[in-house]
Amino acid sequence: MNDADVFGIAGLTLWIGAIATVAVVPIAVAVAWSLVRHDFPGKSLVRALVTLPMVLPPVAVGLGLLWLLGRRGPFSALWEATGIDLVFTAGAAAVAAAVVGFPLATRACEQAFASVDVRYEQVARSLGLSPSATFFRVTLPLAKRGVLYGALLCFTRAIGEFGATAVVAGIIPGRTETLALGIWSRVQLGENSAAAVLGAVSFALGLAAMWAGERWLRSDPP
Amino acid sequence: MSDAPHLVSVNLQRGRFELDATLAWPERVSVFFGPSGAGKSTLFEVILGLHTARRARVKIGGTWLEDSDTDRRLPTWRRSLGWVPQEPTLFPHLDVEANLRFARPDAPAIDQAIEVLELGAFLRRDVRDLSGGERQRVAIGRALGARPRALLLDEPLASLDVTRRANVLRDLIRVRDALEIPMLVITHDPDEAMVLGERVAVLEAGRIVASGPPAEVLWSQAVLPLSETLGLENVLRGRAAPGAAHCLVTTGGVRLALPFPSSAGEAMSLGIRAEDILLSVDPPGRVSARNVLPARVIRCEPDGDDAFVHLALEPGDERLVAKITTAAVHKLELQSGLRVYALIKAQAVRRLA
Repeated sequence: MNDADVFGIAGLTLWIGAIATVAVVPIAVAVAWSLVRHDFPGKSLVRALVTLPMVLPPVAVGLGLLWLLGRRGPFSALWEATGIDLVFTAGAAAVAAAVVGFPLATRACEQAFASVDVRYEQVARSLGLSPSATFFRVTLPLAKRGVLYGALLCFTRAIGEFGATAVVAGIIPGRTETLALGIWSRVQLGENSAAAVLGAVSFALGLAAMWAGERWLRSDPP
Repeated sequence: MSDAPHLVSVNLQRGRFELDATLAWPERVSVFFGPSGAGKSTLFEVILGLHTARRARVKIGGTWLEDSDTDRRLPTWRRSLGWVPQEPTLFPHLDVEANLRFARPDAPAIDQAIEVLELGAFLRRDVRDLSGGERQRVAIGRALGARPRALLLDEPLASLDVTRRANVLRDLIRVRDALEIPMLVITHDPDEAMVLGERVAVLEAGRIVASGPPAEVLWSQAVLPLSETLGLENVLRGRAAPGAAHCLVTTGGVRLALPFPSSAGEAMSLGIRAEDILLSVDPPGRVSARNVLPARVIRCEPDGDDAFVHLALEPGDERLVAKITTAAVHKLELQSGLRVYALIKAQAVRRLA
């Protein structure tokens, strides 16, 4: 394994993590905000469903995604019609990373929104702001740190994802091989030193992300 | 009464608490008075449209904001009400100026509010570094900056210590006198109600139990036990007499000696406790009390051993209530129309604002 391979694997991992995070955070924000600020029937079921990818075996999540994204699943007509075939691509890896990162991001956003005093939102509305303007000018800025922390958790979870990714994206060098998958396949092949290199890169990336995030989030109090 | 420019009629159930209140009033400045838990803040929240109530009819400044009879309901953000709730009030992620200009970045109303409330000095400050009184002034300024049809102040002085209270009360009086907009003020302090209000409505356990001119309502027998426990005093308003540092001329023209100096022409509100007033039927001779005010008895209200004697000062007809023993009422044979002298030590006069 040469340096280019290491950079390729690390780059793909970061890229998948970034795509997953960018896709997940807006959804997590919307879901968390609905859960915190609104009452609707079936709310506790929605909460349970949101948490599910966190408690299921990742391999089971992968199987579920394989079914949903596959040509024999419930959306086969849609994939057929649009020509989208994600299974065993980096796209599938991003979807898997997003799904397992989603509960973490949503939980963090929920906490962030719950800590925003409703009074601020009520005052904003009394000052003439519509509900959506209130959300973007008051709620979100006040919950900013929690949301960013959720994004960070989602990103680090995404770059470490293994089980679901292996099932739905496979381990295809150069196409879907992320750090976690690369380590696993090197260990299987008995290439322990290469596995150790990728493990060290994982360690460095995870630590750098969390450390930078912690420093940045703590430097600017709300 | 429904022709009055302001009307609130609400029925709202929240757990075991029921707010059922109807009030129409023509005065510009109204005070909602009552103990905590009476439903005053909830009433404001209904006026603001933050609750869905069983019945809600709200008219402020002649404009209907909500009428459950006709299914009309403006959302909160279209009601144009300048609301200053109890803490927390200011947006912590914005500085003072950004808070002030939150509603409309370049409205001339904000410059006016900055001037009236003297906020120019700390526009760039972080709101977390402000004192309680400064925060309150900024919150009032921000509400005014949105050019509201009315100002709703919820316990504007409650979170302040005693020394800041008088300052912010003075600011409120300045706002009241400088601007023409209707004001609704919540307080549990009878003195504030007396000083600020043209009308006071008394809430108790979700009901309006009395409403009318402050001095009349707060000293009425129905409300007195409540206002007494919350610290009721006589309130006299006036201006420092020119040329005499320790003297005030009330709006009715009565001269009053003060225990503290004041600058000529300064507007003041003074508090005098009912039990600090002595009554004399004959002109008192040489007494130490600096204030000997001729007055007429309007009525005596005995309440067990105590009695409240309602007086009208002469000249000017300003009202004062003295608390003396029922025995003293009998001994002096006090009755309506009798001319008496009210004796008040200068030391008993306290500045409220």
